[in-house]
Amino acid sequence: MTAPVHAHGLGKRYGATWALRDCTLEIPTGSVTALVGPNGAGKTTLLQLVVGLSRPTDGSVRVFGADPVGDPAAVLQHVGFVAQEHPLYRGFTIADTLKLGLKMNPNWDDELAHARIEQLGLPIRRKVGKLSGGQQAQVALTLALAKRPDLLVLDEPVASLDPLARREFLQSLMEAVAEGGLTVILSSHILADLERVCDHIIILANGRTQLASPIDDVVATHRLLTGPRADAAAIARMHDVVSERHTERQTSLLVRANGHVYDATWELHEVDLEEIVLAYLARDRSAMADTVRSA
Amino acid sequence: MIWVSWRRQRTETLVTAALLALLAAVLVPTGIEMASTFDRDGLAACLGAQPGQACASALSSFNSRFDSLGSFIAWLTLVPGLIGVLLAAPLVLELEHRTHRLAWTQSVSRARWLAGKLGLAIAVALAASLVFTLLVTWWRAPMVRIDGRLDQSVFDSEGTVVSGYTLFALGLAAAVGVVWRRAVASLVVGFVGYFAARIFVDTWLRQRFLSPVTTTFNLLSGGPDKLRHAWVLNEYPSDRAGHHVRIPFDLCGPPPPGGGKPDIGNCLADHGVFMHATYLPAGRFWALQGIETALFCGVALVLLAFAAWWTYSRAD
Repeated sequence: MTAPVHAHGLGKRYGATWALRDCTLEIPTGSVTALVGPNGAGKTTLLQLVVGLSRPTDGSVRVFGADPVGDPAAVLQHVGFVAQEHPLYRGFTIADTLKLGLKMNPNWDDELAHARIEQLGLPIRRKVGKLSGGQQAQVALTLALAKRPDLLVLDEPVASLDPLARREFLQSLMEAVAEGGLTVILSSHILADLERVCDHIIILANGRTQLASPIDDVVATHRLLTGPRADAAAIARMHDVVSERHTERQTSLLVRANGHVYDATWELHEVDLEEIVLAYLARDRSAMADTVRSA
Repeated sequence: MIWVSWRRQRTETLVTAALLALLAAVLVPTGIEMASTFDRDGLAACLGAQPGQACASALSSFNSRFDSLGSFIAWLTLVPGLIGVLLAAPLVLELEHRTHRLAWTQSVSRARWLAGKLGLAIAVALAASLVFTLLVTWWRAPMVRIDGRLDQSVFDSEGTVVSGYTLFALGLAAAVGVVWRRAVASLVVGFVGYFAARIFVDTWLRQRFLSPVTTTFNLLSGGPDKLRHAWVLNEYPSDRAGHHVRIPFDLCGPPPPGGGKPDIGNCLADHGVFMHATYLPAGRFWALQGIETALFCGVALVLLAFAAWWTYSRAD
């Protein structure tokens, strides 16, 4: 089976600014991928390209082997999408919203949709505009899930929710994933939300992919090296140095190790995912600052 | 898809229906009254070339009674514009609230979604135009028998032009709206644009659609029968060949003291002064309607195609 998402050299430019540049990645079937990055990193742009809401300026993206813009009929019915701020028709009741799903999707599972709304305890005759943010997010997720998609794309689904609604939303999502057969991409700038749910991670910053890998591999290959103050050059010959920090006496390096680190001058520590992600994002910020300075 | 388009356009359609119902509430009772007055006073018999004294007073009493209503009705020509811009609202609101992202990520392609949305708006616009035209035409039937239907205020709410106006307003508001993505502002701009275009066509362009006919006639004869119900564009005193002349009041001056009513018309004719008229004959009504309908429908089509193309290719 073709990969749910395959991007090659994908780029999108708005005016003179590249929102996304030279993005090459593949989302494996059945994975739950976290798309992380600061605001303005290109997360929304990438996801909109995947669901065919925007047209690439450069490169290509294939969803189940088809072009989402050129052949929407082949792509759309396999993809469930919840956009940022989960847009819904505020004048529609929940029942109207589900009827919209029924009318606009050939694989619509009406039973599932109504069962979910009932299980969530949402009043089906209530207008969507009168629901809380968390309830609206749940309706949007229901609309996406009842399409019976093979790929679910969620753009900042929990950013606007309070902590309780956030937990309930992710709980619903995990239940849906547990039923199997679903590939998920969800973006967030808050990593803590995603760590429990996801098994793959893509770090996006400044319009470019910084890292795309299974989370287990990320944690397994990244190490914090501490030792007496030294130059990082020797280590950098063998491994990728993500960040370096020097005090008067000590140097600490976060590296992505290619195999073992044999140098006995360094003490090795394990690092958690959040620290790794922050290191990548910080690296990008300093790179960006360099660009600005040299300009 | 039809259901979704309908559900998204329900409010606008109901407002349109309410507007037409309100119009009917005014027009139906007054229309019945006008028709029965027309019959009771036997005005049908007075429509010949030379109405007698009784007829003249009956006509003038009919006119004075219903003229104010007639000029109120002239304002109804704004209604097609109102309905047109209103029906553009669902599309523009979709882009303003960014809910098109919801619609475009269901399993229906953008093209089909646009076709459903614009198709329904066009259908309701045409249906509303038809109801409006039938209502006003029925209401004004007695007045039309007296005054004809080439008068500005009559011409633009009868025949086929109303559908052109409504579609034009719809297209204009939609075209502005998909670019600007502000519903209220776009509707206001669309309506103002509609009004401006209508004034331009009413006062300048329409009379240039067809080449007019000219005639020269005896000044006070009341004009030849072919001028009845015609659209007179221009009228001036002239010589027999139609060249402009001044009226020689010194020759055919005021009546002599103690004398009877002088025959000024014949006096002027004797001195070679006639009346020259440039006009569009009453029979050109449908030709003018056809040209104006085609013009507005054509521009509307271009605007709607632009709105669809812009939405299809630019919005994300």
